[in-house]
Amino acid sequence: MSEVRELPLVEAIKEAYRQEMERDESVFMVGQDIAGGIFPHTKGLVEQFGTDRIVDTPLAELGMYGTAFGAAMEGFRPIVDFMFAGFFLNAASPILAQTAQFRFIHGSQMSLPMVITGACGAGMRLGNEHAMLVHNMIAQVPGIKVCMPSTPYDAKGMMIAAIRDDNPVAFIWHLGTMMDRGPVPEEPYVVPLGVADVKREGSDVTLVANGFQYKNAGIVADRLAGEISVEIIDPRSFSPLDIDTILKSLEKTGRLVVVDESWESRSTASEIAAQVVDRGFDLLDAPIRRVTIPNMPLPGGHMEPYVAPNPDAIEAAVRDVCR
Amino acid sequence: MALGKEQMKLLYRNLVRADHFDKMMMNRIMQGKLIGFYHPGDGAMAAGVGASTFLGDDDILNPHHRAHGLGYAAGRGVDIGRYLAEHTGKVDGCCGGRSSFHWSFPEKKMYGASGFIGWHFCPVVGWGWASKRKGNQMVLMASGDGSYGQGGAHEAMLFAMNWKLPIVFFCENNGMAIHSTISDMHPMPDISSLAQGYGMPAVVIDGQDVFAVAETVMAARKHALAGKGPTFVEAKTLRLREHDVGTPDLARAEPREAAYLEELKKRDPVVLATSRVLAEKVLTQKQIDKIYKDAKAEVEQVEKFADDSPVAQPSIEELLAGVYVA
Amino acid sequence: MATNYVMPKLAMGMNEGIVVEWLVSEGQQVERGAPLMQVETEKVAYDVEAPVAGWFHILVPAGETVPVESVIGQFAASAEEYAEIAGAAAPRGTTASTPAMVFDDKLTSTGAVMGTVPAAAATAAGGGRIKASPLARKLARDRGIDLATLAGTGPEGRIVKRDVLAAEAVAQASTAAAPPSATGELSVKGTVPLKGMRGAIARRMTQSLQTSAQLSHFSEVDATGLLKARKSFIADADAYGTRVSVNAFVVKAIALACQAVPIANSAIVDDQIVLWNEVNVGIAVSLPGQGEWDSGLIVPVLRNAERKGLVQIDTELRDLATRAREGRLVPGETEGGTITLSPTAAMGGEAMYSWSTPVLNLPQALIVQPGMIMPRAVVHKGKIKQREMMPLSVTFDHRILDGDPVASFVVRLRRCLQAPELMLA
Repeated sequence: MSEVRELPLVEAIKEAYRQEMERDESVFMVGQDIAGGIFPHTKGLVEQFGTDRIVDTPLAELGMYGTAFGAAMEGFRPIVDFMFAGFFLNAASPILAQTAQFRFIHGSQMSLPMVITGACGAGMRLGNEHAMLVHNMIAQVPGIKVCMPSTPYDAKGMMIAAIRDDNPVAFIWHLGTMMDRGPVPEEPYVVPLGVADVKREGSDVTLVANGFQYKNAGIVADRLAGEISVEIIDPRSFSPLDIDTILKSLEKTGRLVVVDESWESRSTASEIAAQVVDRGFDLLDAPIRRVTIPNMPLPGGHMEPYVAPNPDAIEAAVRDVCR
Repeated sequence: MALGKEQMKLLYRNLVRADHFDKMMMNRIMQGKLIGFYHPGDGAMAAGVGASTFLGDDDILNPHHRAHGLGYAAGRGVDIGRYLAEHTGKVDGCCGGRSSFHWSFPEKKMYGASGFIGWHFCPVVGWGWASKRKGNQMVLMASGDGSYGQGGAHEAMLFAMNWKLPIVFFCENNGMAIHSTISDMHPMPDISSLAQGYGMPAVVIDGQDVFAVAETVMAARKHALAGKGPTFVEAKTLRLREHDVGTPDLARAEPREAAYLEELKKRDPVVLATSRVLAEKVLTQKQIDKIYKDAKAEVEQVEKFADDSPVAQPSIEELLAGVYVA
Repeated sequence: MATNYVMPKLAMGMNEGIVVEWLVSEGQQVERGAPLMQVETEKVAYDVEAPVAGWFHILVPAGETVPVESVIGQFAASAEEYAEIAGAAAPRGTTASTPAMVFDDKLTSTGAVMGTVPAAAATAAGGGRIKASPLARKLARDRGIDLATLAGTGPEGRIVKRDVLAAEAVAQASTAAAPPSATGELSVKGTVPLKGMRGAIARRMTQSLQTSAQLSHFSEVDATGLLKARKSFIADADAYGTRVSVNAFVVKAIALACQAVPIANSAIVDDQIVLWNEVNVGIAVSLPGQGEWDSGLIVPVLRNAERKGLVQIDTELRDLATRAREGRLVPGETEGGTITLSPTAAMGGEAMYSWSTPVLNLPQALIVQPGMIMPRAVVHKGKIKQREMMPLSVTFDHRILDGDPVASFVVRLRRCLQAPELMLA
């Protein structure tokens, strides 16, 4: 077997765009300044695919989103890039109301094969609106799949899966993982949506973490090695949520810590905790701990590092459930 | 663009049908035989019929909210039996009984209504973009004067003009949005004046004249298919009745005057169209009587179909299976 | 500010205590130092004094078993405050995270992470809510273990998986002796809760047999000389103030044998065997149990047997045994033993010449069990004679001792018992 080359996460995403656009004429991208490429993940695509398929729009998220939304009804497979994922809120109404309900409310006759994407995340001290992870807002509404990759391998495979999916898929990626390098096969491949991944095996505690927080989870697992055996599960998708993989891990560990770079209330961490109590109550040997952003807008400046989930907070939670 | 006699006959027939369907809906909601609201189109059915009757099969049609799009549905050839079954929550409803009155009819490229007035200003950009990519199809985007308050309307006009998208912005201006009057809500009497800022060709026509509406929309469609970009057609129409059946008919907080409404009724599009087809000998009175008889029979058939259809109450599991494409 | 009063930790080994009786009434004004409650631990009953003055509010009714350091009452600083706290929702059973006997005026949160709060409510066997993890509850349900009989070792005294698994080992040990039966077909004559002393005995015996390598050795001692020597002591009982017992001779002999074979007087501590200078002999004393069906056992410790004469040993033995039976031992008197003597009482009121395999009192290396002295026909100096014989059973921890040192120990013990004058050495 030949050695798999390593790519940064953004390049893995771009390779998914490129290969899918080569494979399928109906795939196109719409966004703001994607031809020039404010992030590296679209740089150079316009030279290959032209402005018909790498479509720049005015600063108008409703119209920008509408380009994708309407085209999806007409059989295209659009990728709409909000640049910073938080900007999706400028088009929240058509996304959360009309897009999410579209198939169901009209009798499951139509489908909307489209990808809604954007970057986000704490770490760059950009303030609440640039940093906010919007996965929970979208995942609360049935009808849109929501996912976020933690590794370059997953990024390419999940983006290809998202593009080929006949449902709207929100593919969020974390700025803190943008330049992370990892093995990425050259040929197109699919990482299925809605399937969690046991990224590291352990026996004492199940630690669920994703995106940039997956890296923090790894730091904590290394710190505790020899003392507490940490199993790290990357949920990869928030909707649908693969709770079975988490429950299976809990059969072994009996203890659960969920890291979610989102607000404490009504987060995916809360959702996982609720589902585990509902379906896996008898597996628990300790309370479930959530490591999240306390219920405040994420401040910028020098406060972000300790307000957002971080290795110390994760370690404290892991130790707490292992008392 | 002059209309031929057969085209006029078809428009007249569709207008009479649409008028019968609208009255059917009003009757049913007053009898408690309809789910939700009904926003009557009485006296204003010509615009929808005129705008939709001669569209191409591949054209995308977004109906106006009033009369729940019945004028457009009648002109487009939508199965009104399934339309009514949807409004009554039956299994034969065009959306399986799930949509309440936010129906869609995808096989006729009518992609659905929404509870949010003006929602369509978002996807219309994509409809236009896709139509331009595909060629040989356009978008008839109908809406009322009220929905042009939405910011998305401006984004849609911006994108459409910028990209020269084949879209006809067709505005039914009846001067009323629920209880608000256009003079209170818009600085200019003509909504089409908004198009000027984007350099979009615009025209104001008599929305009570089904033939004039059809002629204008056919010209605008030709403009769109020729790659010349979007146009704005403002059809002045009226509202004979309250916003939705059962609420008081107010202008601001005051009841509208009976004498004023009597005056409006003289502009009923069916009355106007009948005198024209008789005057121009397009139809005889006997033929008109037959059209009325047929329309009545169609209403009976439509109601029987909807009433005979079983109530849709699928299991939670069946419903859940309909949220995502498997 | 009211002062919380917690179940005191009266000895290192104490995990829970039973509030036997409140010696004050609800709302009573209590002076500092006044008797407050009688508490029973696994080993002893003890009167506890009020650590501060105040109006006392009882949070845990008498008869309940609670983990140490759980809040069981409150001292109000005034009658008004008493009325306030007595009327409010009481923090009953809440565990203070403070060390034993520290009376904090507020509950300290324990390592809360990201907005979590410390869970309230601790184990309250005897009807209250039992704090146990869902997994522990399921395991207990599946294995038929009553959570009320367990003491939690998790945070705030929560019963967690490991506690149930430990209890299961106890349950298996006890059911192994009983014929398997379907409880549903049987009617219950009575029950004995596996807690307090019974629970402690169950845990300790199981732990002993499961964690050490026990081997027993049986022999006989010719006690004719011993009885003769004892007769002389009894003849002068008035002078000594006690009728020196056979047990006193055995204790003294054990002390001497330990000095001759020091490895017999040792224990495994952490990862090494520790040999002790002092010979502190634990004496097993039978007690009545809890209720009609139970029996009890306690092991007070006679300290420095190696430095004491027979009379002093006997005097102390009697005092310990008496107070043990009366429940008047004080904390500490059951701790610190280095070797144990388990005398065989008349079994069922009938003299019986028998051996058994005493169970080690961990972490001690050795336990000695003399049987009843009875006349037996034995070969003595080439002839069959009637002699006063004593069966002798010794169990030792084979992790610590091998056959040779045990043989040396038993030989030394027998020689002292067969020729008591040697103990004068």
